[in-house]
Amino acid sequence: QETFTWKVQSHWPGASSSYTDSLVRLKNVLEERTDGRLKLTLYESGALFKAQETFNAVSRGILEMGTISPAYAQDKMTLAGIASGLPFAFRNVWEAAYFHQGLGFEQMLRDEAAQYGVYWATDKVYPTEMVVKNPIKTWDDFTRLKIRSSGALQKFLTEAGAAASYIPGGELYSALDSGVVDGAHWGAAQGAYSMGLYEVAKYHVQPGLNIAGTDAIIVSQKALDKLPEDMQLIVKQALAEQFWVRTNEYLFKERVTLAKAIKEMGVEVNTLPDDVQNRLVKTAQSMWDEEGKRSDKAQEALDMLKAYLTELGYL
Amino acid sequence: MSIEILTLLFFGSLLFFLILGLPLAFVLGGVSVVFLYFTWGFDSFYMVSSQIWGTMGSFTLVAIPLFVFMAMILERTGVANDLYRMMYLWWGGVRGGLAIGTLFICAIFAAMCGISGAAVVAMGTIALPSMLERGYDKNMALGCINTGGGWGILIPPSILMILYALITGVSVGKMFAAGVLPGILLMVLTIGYIVIRCYFQPHLAPALPPEERASWPEKFRALRSVILPILIVVMVLGSIIGGITTPTEAAAVGVLGALISALVYRKFTWGLIQEASIRTFKLTGMIMWILFAAHAFSAAYQSMGAQELIEGFVQMIPGGPWGIILSMMLITFLLAMVLDPVGIMLITLPVFMPIVESLGFDPIWFGILFVINMEIGYMTPPFGFNLFYLKGVVPPSITMKDIYGSIIPFVLVEIVGLGLIMIFPSIATYLPNLFF
Amino acid sequence: MRALTAFMNGVTRLNDFIGRWVAWLVAAMFVLLLLEVGFRYLLNAPTVWTNELTQMLFGVYAILSGGYIMAHRGHVNVDLLYSHFGRRTRAGLDIFTSIVFFIFTLALLYFGADMAQESIRNLETTYSAWNPPIWPIKAAIPLGAGLLVLQGVVKLLQDIAIAFNLSYYTPEPEEEAGEHV
Ligand code: NA
Ligand code: NA
Repeated sequence: QETFTWKVQSHWPGASSSYTDSLVRLKNVLEERTDGRLKLTLYESGALFKAQETFNAVSRGILEMGTISPAYAQDKMTLAGIASGLPFAFRNVWEAAYFHQGLGFEQMLRDEAAQYGVYWATDKVYPTEMVVKNPIKTWDDFTRLKIRSSGALQKFLTEAGAAASYIPGGELYSALDSGVVDGAHWGAAQGAYSMGLYEVAKYHVQPGLNIAGTDAIIVSQKALDKLPEDMQLIVKQALAEQFWVRTNEYLFKERVTLAKAIKEMGVEVNTLPDDVQNRLVKTAQSMWDEEGKRSDKAQEALDMLKAYLTELGYL
Repeated sequence: MSIEILTLLFFGSLLFFLILGLPLAFVLGGVSVVFLYFTWGFDSFYMVSSQIWGTMGSFTLVAIPLFVFMAMILERTGVANDLYRMMYLWWGGVRGGLAIGTLFICAIFAAMCGISGAAVVAMGTIALPSMLERGYDKNMALGCINTGGGWGILIPPSILMILYALITGVSVGKMFAAGVLPGILLMVLTIGYIVIRCYFQPHLAPALPPEERASWPEKFRALRSVILPILIVVMVLGSIIGGITTPTEAAAVGVLGALISALVYRKFTWGLIQEASIRTFKLTGMIMWILFAAHAFSAAYQSMGAQELIEGFVQMIPGGPWGIILSMMLITFLLAMVLDPVGIMLITLPVFMPIVESLGFDPIWFGILFVINMEIGYMTPPFGFNLFYLKGVVPPSITMKDIYGSIIPFVLVEIVGLGLIMIFPSIATYLPNLFF
Repeated sequence: MRALTAFMNGVTRLNDFIGRWVAWLVAAMFVLLLLEVGFRYLLNAPTVWTNELTQMLFGVYAILSGGYIMAHRGHVNVDLLYSHFGRRTRAGLDIFTSIVFFIFTLALLYFGADMAQESIRNLETTYSAWNPPIWPIKAAIPLGAGLLVLQGVVKLLQDIAIAFNLSYYTPEPEEEAGEHV
């Protein structure tokens, strides 16, 4: 029987919990269910391609599989902005999960990626949360913040009145430590913990800035088509299952990590006061419409999202 | 083809073309492309351009042109020369005084800068001519710049330590704290070596003849020349520690300090700035093209299965926990002779760390050993990046052979330092345990 | 033969001209970083564009340096064996090793052009908070590689002239590589 070996480039560094929990898990599941006929060779973030180039490499079939953040595929995927999260849209992780799998946003993503020879599967949905050096108790506290941010959230935080600037991951710890910035987001609790941010910023801000499918697994359609049909089905089913397993497991680990940070490092949860939350939501909503303008599909997704949020009683 | 044979061929052809005199950047780049073609096919060349694109987008590298620019301005305005004149007046009676002073400046530079290339080029520009002019042996001068220039990754801030922390999950703050004492240890050892060596062989670093030594008033007048360099150091370090800038942005503050110095010295002209910018362009470009190719090379090597090779090696190691640690050091050292540090980390750490931790060793301590090993790798032939950076700034009379020849005693000193930290782990772990 | 000489001089002059202008970007990067520090620290109003623009300029600066440095023999090599050979032997060796040079630079030119073309077709932007077009920076890769290839061709022609005593190129008096402007 023919065996296949896929090169898989991750956007997670090896120490990231998702590298093991998502990617190594998937590797083991696939090897087991195909009786060893499909093997994955995993590469850490940046080992072969810069994370931002992984979509192109998979699209060209140079890599058989990769993990990305939807933001890295923005130039191709007009839905990427909505996939990587509109600020303050969902309030619970299950809502985002239902939006993807129940309402069909996942299928929309898959259809758009298919145009580039890529099979798209969201790895998990989860929140992005900030850590800050001093608690946010008033709106003024928030607007005085210098926050390390990136991409759409940087724009959002700036619009909302904070001073958001981009600092590369390699300099984040020092910047937060010395006070170049006094807040940052890097995933949520697990991300902050892995980057050592709790050592220098003791307040974990909730609710999250967004909840979204911020990690995605992409497979080269060419590589997928080369597999016998039974194996293709195994891959697709494993990816579908991955979403639920990982979303749930990630939430669990978030809570455990946060509890550990609270216990061992003296971290406190800083719940944003209602008026701060309300003002942030208002700013956020005024920015959502931008994302719809990228394409008809994006507009369709945005309309669907708004109808859904209305149904949930949030709009 | 097995990865063992590929490795031999891969590194063999590197050596072959390097010896034939093709510049390092093109050897690394060309050999990667050829091997990618035979192991992965034509399309994989996309990886080469993609790695170069990635390197162009690496923000921390922006510090290189800025620090080099700073050094060029300081050299051309005469600030650097006055600084060395002052050191010579004060320490002229001490054999090797200038070399010792150079090592101090290197350590300060290392505290301002998180990457090593900039320090080597900058110190090569500032310190080398001053030492050669005053009759220092070129091996002594080259060796001490080569060593001191490498401390940038050990003395915080350090981009490599942050990367180590990111890959292994240890605390960045602890890593930074852990680097301080080993950095000082290496400096003390290197100074000790210079003092002892010059005691027995005074011609290597001649003292100022007694009749030429300066009077006290003259010495104090010369002290004025440290004001501007100290101002620059205070500006750069102050803005990092004071939370005003990130380490990369601090490089721009250094340039500002150099420009202020040029104004104070009444040497500020467009001609000077233009000349400094052209020389900066040449040196930064030289460094960057080596990095472009080096990143492509590591990626190519990883895609060929470098990690399997390391896994295989580690499984064969005999000799208990210390045998394993020593072998890991040896592997890192050998890889550092040919690969860029980021590549080495990505290849080895995922294999090493679980073993290191299961043996009960402190990952912080191991990280310091790892960084020092990498630093030694930077300065050892054939591919040590520091050697090439230094070659880029030396006068035409100094050949690669001189540079290769100069490093042996200095490497031995660093290895002694490494050994001490292995035997007395608390040199590395004392400060992090104190602070965290 | 005269055309060959003109071509060689033309390429070298082109790289020199570009290099002299691009070298000024270091001043731009300096100003931009300092501006950002000022905006963020003094005015508490960091910009979304300074660091990103600095980064982009740095990429262009680095990639466009290849040809200029080649023209000035600034790419560092190992002269261990090399320096013992005579000029004609060295030229012969350089002709041989230029295969490796061209494999690298042509691969970079081809795939860099491919990458740039795709980016230009989509008018790709960075999708950061500032969201500037990124395609001009990607286009600098094939440009830089192209300039380097051209200078490599010049070097090859020079080496051929030296190795075979041809008249279209008269080498300058012996001088070693090293940093001299
Ligand atoms: Na440093
Ligand atoms: Na080396």
